[in-house]
This record gives sequence, structure tokens and C-alpha cells, in this order.
Amino acid sequence: MEDKSRLTNSESGGEKKVPFEKAPPLRPFNADLAMRVAEDTQKLTQGKLSEPDYYHKYHDAYVKEFGIDARPVLSSDTIGKASSDSILTGHMSRRTLLKLGGVALASAAGARLLGGRALGAAANLGGNSSGFPLKENGEQAEGAKRVQMGMVIDLENCDGCLSCVYACSNHNFNSAGVLWLYILAFKDENREGNNFLVRICQHCANPPCVKVCPVRARHKRDKDGLVLTDYNLCIGCRYCMVTCPYGVNYFQWGEPERANYYHPKLTDYRGRWVIGNPPKGVMGKCTFCPDRQDDGRGNVVCALTCPHNVLHFGDINDPNSEPMRYLAAKQKEKGGNLSTFRLLENQGTKPSIIYIGHQPTRSAKAVDGPVSYADWGLVEKRLDVLQGPKPWFSKAFGGTQ
Amino acid sequence: MRARSRVETRVDQILRPLGNPTIKYYLTVAIAGAGLLWFLLAWAWQLKYGLIVTGLGDWGTTGGVPWGIYIGSFIWWVGISHGGILISAGVRLFKLKVFYPVARLAELLTVGALTIAGLFIIIDLGRPDRVVVSVIRNYVLTIQTSPLAWDLTVITLYFIMTATYLLLTIRHDIYVLRRRLPARFAPVYQLLTNGYSPEEDEKVSRMAWWLAFAVVLLAPFLLHGGVIPWLFQLIASMPAWYSAIQAPTFLSIALTSAFGSVIIISYIFRRLYGWEELIPDKAFRRMGSVLALVGLFFLWLQLQAIMTGAFAAPVGVRTATEAKMEDPIYWTAIGLVIAAVLYLGAQTIWPALFSMKRVVLVSIIPVVATLFEKTLFIVEGLANPLFDIYKAVPGHYIPTWVEISSIIGGVSMLALWFAVISKVLPIIEVEAEHEGQEE
Ligand code: SF4
Ligand code: SF4
Repeated sequence: MEDKSRLTNSESGGEKKVPFEKAPPLRPFNADLAMRVAEDTQKLTQGKLSEPDYYHKYHDAYVKEFGIDARPVLSSDTIGKASSDSILTGHMSRRTLLKLGGVALASAAGARLLGGRALGAAANLGGNSSGFPLKENGEQAEGAKRVQMGMVIDLENCDGCLSCVYACSNHNFNSAGVLWLYILAFKDENREGNNFLVRICQHCANPPCVKVCPVRARHKRDKDGLVLTDYNLCIGCRYCMVTCPYGVNYFQWGEPERANYYHPKLTDYRGRWVIGNPPKGVMGKCTFCPDRQDDGRGNVVCALTCPHNVLHFGDINDPNSEPMRYLAAKQKEKGGNLSTFRLLENQGTKPSIIYIGHQPTRSAKAVDGPVSYADWGLVEKRLDVLQGPKPWFSKAFGGTQ
Repeated sequence: MRARSRVETRVDQILRPLGNPTIKYYLTVAIAGAGLLWFLLAWAWQLKYGLIVTGLGDWGTTGGVPWGIYIGSFIWWVGISHGGILISAGVRLFKLKVFYPVARLAELLTVGALTIAGLFIIIDLGRPDRVVVSVIRNYVLTIQTSPLAWDLTVITLYFIMTATYLLLTIRHDIYVLRRRLPARFAPVYQLLTNGYSPEEDEKVSRMAWWLAFAVVLLAPFLLHGGVIPWLFQLIASMPAWYSAIQAPTFLSIALTSAFGSVIIISYIFRRLYGWEELIPDKAFRRMGSVLALVGLFFLWLQLQAIMTGAFAAPVGVRTATEAKMEDPIYWTAIGLVIAAVLYLGAQTIWPALFSMKRVVLVSIIPVVATLFEKTLFIVEGLANPLFDIYKAVPGHYIPTWVEISSIIGGVSMLALWFAVISKVLPIIEVEAEHEGQEE
């Protein structure tokens, strides 16, 4: 994993060589602050520290260091300010953002949303630090390209441990069998051993699901290209699920099994309810953690959790983003012999996930991976648990029906 | 004098259903009402617990099928509603006199079936309570891209057109018969004939002609040969659907089920009210012939789909076609339609083979078979997506009692609709001018 150390430097606070020429120079930031924040985040998780205390404790330090405290804050007016478009249109420099990413990463160890398992993984986080949706005005103009958050997924590193699947499912309080993130293990004719496909919503640049939605509940967020579902608008027709070629949508067929109680916020910066698991009768799928994108923490929970440096989240239209730098570095390393693909690209959906590795061929067969979903307490085949209550008349027929 | 008395008897006959209800009538209403009630209970159950009470599921890792009987029924009812108005429009535009006696029945069928079809969309939704607000809110955007938004629009438009059409043509009859209609519904008649004067007849019949003309264009081009099949044929992720042949196929199925149901309903009324004179055998024979023709059209399109899907098709299409061909339900449906087409075709050529009972019995076949075919089309399509690498693909679907109750509910609603409307309005047109012209 040498490229990991080459690519990342913000989590250590030290300046290192960045393998991509265009990468912006990075400056050391206050590593001390990061450590203290991380410690307190743990205290918060353990309930030794109250949320308001936690937020206020470092507010000044944040402002001093970054010029802005973009963490989620409980009081509603601050939330409005902190996560509104103003961050986007951006008074912050890219450098600041990268530093901010460092702190976000350090405190990710305590990211209370991840639960216990993530703590161990955090030490291994690797080069996923700068997954930021935010850009400086000058840079925007230069590329003149839209921001499209996406991922570079290095399947060569994936070992099918399902850490990310567990983290995602827990973070979003999804019902049993709802796998917004799914690791598909498969055997292919001409390739030895297990191959993995990280199947996730592709946050397509040309998403058919958005096209067909009769109420525009499914929509593409302008700011960063996230494809989201407005849980207040969706009428539950399931047309998006039918038309998505990837099968990434999961409907809330009954009452949600778990409440969203953990999330600090369920609405994004526009005030639309798009975060967490959907209510009954409404469609859900991977969201790319809009709360994180809005409040400046950036990155996505699955990528933060992956212990094997597989998931790289960022703006795929920006050659300087972490995923694109990772891709370029890997390409260089392989001397241009790197196999990459986008899934079902000929469907014209313009998927925003770039895979490093080999696309499953027609002869690929899904197999059981090294770690089973049951090992993590997850359900792989939802239909097995998708059962409504017995009808009131079932007793009359001997209790079966 | 003779002509006059003939008109009188005709009117007498037309007015038969409007008399006092019989025990049989009450029985029919009770049974249909019970069916409807049962369905409403099932629906309430679904509203309470969510769509989890159905056999549906997500496709992909879940191993389910997201649409089933509800959407199948939706298409089926729209199909039935279609043919109804086409028959009646045919009478008006092309002066198809044989179908004249069943024209209004067909129009009533259209309005009833279309309402039920709309209901099935609502039943299928996870959040039916939001439909109006949500749809209106972003309508300007969605109408540009969403086939479902197109569907809602065209169906609403179609409903308005057929209801207007029915209203326009019925005002004259109510006015003519005003002294003989049951007094207890006087307010209804007053409302319907509000502002009517016999002078408007000519203008109205011209309007009705244009409406019929619009419907004849709208139905094949926009509805069953348009937005309804487009719901499926534009979806590239499901190879079984993604084919330009869907539009004509849907139209052929609509016509098949529509003619079948008009035959059945006309026969029921003829039996009940002794309308052998009003709806003569000849009408049934002709309708049977048309049914044979559209059934043949349907079979021909199935052949095209199978040939294309089986010969040297891309993998996705082939998998979907194979799945269809391995399904006994599909072959049962096709076999039944073939049998019906054979008989109805034979009786067209050799009139000796015609018998009222046989034609009606055989007409039931394509009506039932098309419901199966439609549901199968949805389910098989969704069970065999293009991206079939998942362990849980092809998906499974076993409808639950809630979904099966919805079929009973739909049929009961139609029965109630006819039971009620036949007590209030003349369901055969009075117009005497056609009387003498019959061959
Ligand atoms: S992967 Fe599917 S759900 Fe996600 S944006 Fe693309 S079409 Fe929509
Ligand atoms: S299920 Fe909801 S989000 Fe999906 S197409 Fe229907 S209304 Fe839109």
C-alpha cells in the first residue's frame, strides 16, 4: 500500500510529496487540534460530553485555524449558516479545505455515527481525506466543469470484508436487507479467485431514475451532482427502481425498522429531507451522505470505514481531487496498463463511479464472499425477511396464510 | 302508424331496466357490494401496514419484483376502457350500424373501466395521500420527461373526453324520454339536461363527431399505442420491455380484451332484459369476428417478439424471452387465445357454427387471458433485468390475498357501476332514425 502513504498527508499533519503534479501544495495544520477533537469526539460517543459542549469547545480554535467552523451545530440558525450555499460559493481556499478534511478525518475516529467497529478501522483510513464538494471560485472557472461527486473504487484492494456495508447500513439505520452499498463477490471464467464488485448508486450524470420520477422526488442536486430522493415528495410509485439499470434502490415496504434517531440532521442545506432511511412507502438508496457534504466534513461514511483503501470519494470532474489523483497515481504506477471501467456504461447513464479492476463478464457468477452478510448481522436477500403481518382472518384458517 | 308503434315498443324495451328492482337485482348488488367491501378491507390493511402486505419486493439483491398485479390490472382496465370508446366512435365515424345498439354500453364501460384503472395506480403507490400535491408541484418539470406523468395526463384527458362525449349524446335521450323516466331521479335528469333544447341536437352531433374523431386518434396514438406501452418500452434496464413492438402489442391486447368485455356485458343485459330484438344475434356475430381479427393481430405480434428474442438476440433479450417461453402461464394464455381466435374465425366464415352461447363463452377467454398476459409481462420483465449478475435475480413474485382481492374489487366495482347506471339512464340509444335504416 505504498501509494496510500504517498497520496495522503493531511492526517499526519506533515507535508509529503504529492505524486500528481497538479496537486495543490499542502500546508501542515494544527495536528494538536485534531488530536484533541478526536479525543473529545470519543468522549461524546461514550456520553461523557454533551453535544453542545463538544461543539462550542473548539469553535474558536476552528475559526482561528480554518476561518470557519463548518461542523454541524445543533442550534438551527447556525446550521443554516454553516451548511448553506455560502460555503459552496466558497470563501475558503482549497488549502483550507484540505486541512479541514484532515481534522474531519482525525475526528472520524470518533464519528459517533459509525459505532464501535469503525473505531478500529479509523487507524487504517488511508488516503480518503479530501473528498470535498467545495471549490474555490477561481478554480471553478478554470476547469469550467460541473462538480460531480463520485468515487474511484479500487477493486484490486477489496477483500470483501463488508466493513463498508455494515457502516453504511448502520449509519443510515436501514431496515434488514436494505443494502445501499453491496459487495458482490463473483467468479469469472478466465480469472482466478474471487472478484468483488462494490455496487452502489452510481450518482449518474444522466440518471434515468430522475427522468422517470413523476413528482421529481428523485432529483439531481445542482451543487454537487448527488442524486437524492426527497422523502417528503416521493409518492412511492417505484418507477425509479424499475428504470435504474443497477438495481440500487430499496423501497420502504413497511414501517421502517429503525428510527433515524442518531442523525443530527435529516435535511440537507436546502432544507429538503433527503438523509437517512426513508419513511414507509418511500424510496431510498445511497445518498453520498449529504449531511457530510453540507457541513464541511466531506467524504462518505463507507469510504471512511474501508480498511483497505478501496473507496475514494470526491469530485471526479476535478483532476486534483483525491480520487482522481489516486487514479492518476495508480495509472502511473502501472505504466498505463491499468484496467478501469464504469459499470454498464453503454446504458448511457454516465455513471460517476470509476472502478479500477475488471468488469464482470457475461459469464461471471455471483458466489458467496469470504465474509458473509450474516457474519455482520446483515441480511443479504431481503425477500426472506420482507413479510407483512398475518391477516386478521388467518386464525379462522388455522393460523396459516 | 306501424312505424310509430315500432318506435314505441323499442322505447318500452329500452326502458325495461329502469323499472322497479327485482330480487335478482338486489342480489347482484349485494354480491358486488360484498366484493367491493372485501377489497376495501384489504386496501385498508395495505394502507395501515404498507405495501409489505403484497408479494412485491425490490429487484436486485432482494430477489423481488417491484410491480405486479396492480400495474397489470391497471393496463388491463385501461385496455378495456379503450375498446369501448373505439366501438362507439366507430359507430359515429364510420356508421358501423351493427354496433349501434351496444355503443352506449361500450361508452359506459369506458368511463367505468377508466376510473377503475386510475384507482389501480393509486392502490399501487406507497404514499397515495400525496399524489395530488406532489404531482402538481413539479408538473411543469415532470411532464417533460416522466412517462408516468404523461400517463396521468393522457388518462385524465381521455376521461374528460369520454365523459363529455357520453354526456353530450345522452342529453337528447333524456329529453325525449323525460316523461317516462323514473321520477325519483328527476334532479339527476334536470342536472344532465340543464340548458338543453332540441335545437342543439345538430350542433351536438357535430361536436360528438369531432370528439369521436379525436378519441379514435388519441386512443391508438397516444394512449394504448402511446403512453401506456411507453411506460415499459422506454425502459432500457428491462430487456423484455425494451422493444418498439410494445405499442402495437398493447393496442392489440386492449382491443382484444375490450371487444371481449363488450360482448360479455351486452350479452348479460340482453339476457336480463330480453333484448333479443334490440341487440340482435348479428351484432354478436360481428363483434366475434372483430375479436377474432384483433386476437389474430395479437398472436402475430407475439410471434414477432418470440422470433426476435429467440433467434440470435443479445443476451439480455434472449434470457427474458427464454424465461417467458418456459412459463406455463404464458403458454396457457396464448393457447386459450389461439382457441378463441380459431372458433371466432370459423364462425365468421361458416355462419352455421355460430351460436350465441359459444361466442360469449369464447369471448371470456381472451378477457381473462389478457389479464394474465399483462401481469406476466410486468413480472417477467422485472424478474429478468439487464443487470442480472445478482444472486437473487431472477426475482420471485407470489401475489398475496390483498392483491388478489383487488381483482375481485375491480370487477365488483364495474358490476356496481352498471347496476346503478342502468337504473338511472337509458343504456341503449333511443334515436329512431337508425331504426328504419337497419338492414
Ligand atoms: S445508479 Fe440508479 S439510482 Fe443511482 S443515479 Fe444512476 S439510475 Fe439513479
Ligand atoms: S418511487 Fe418516489 S422517487 Fe421513485 S420515481 Fe416514484 S415518486 Fe419518484
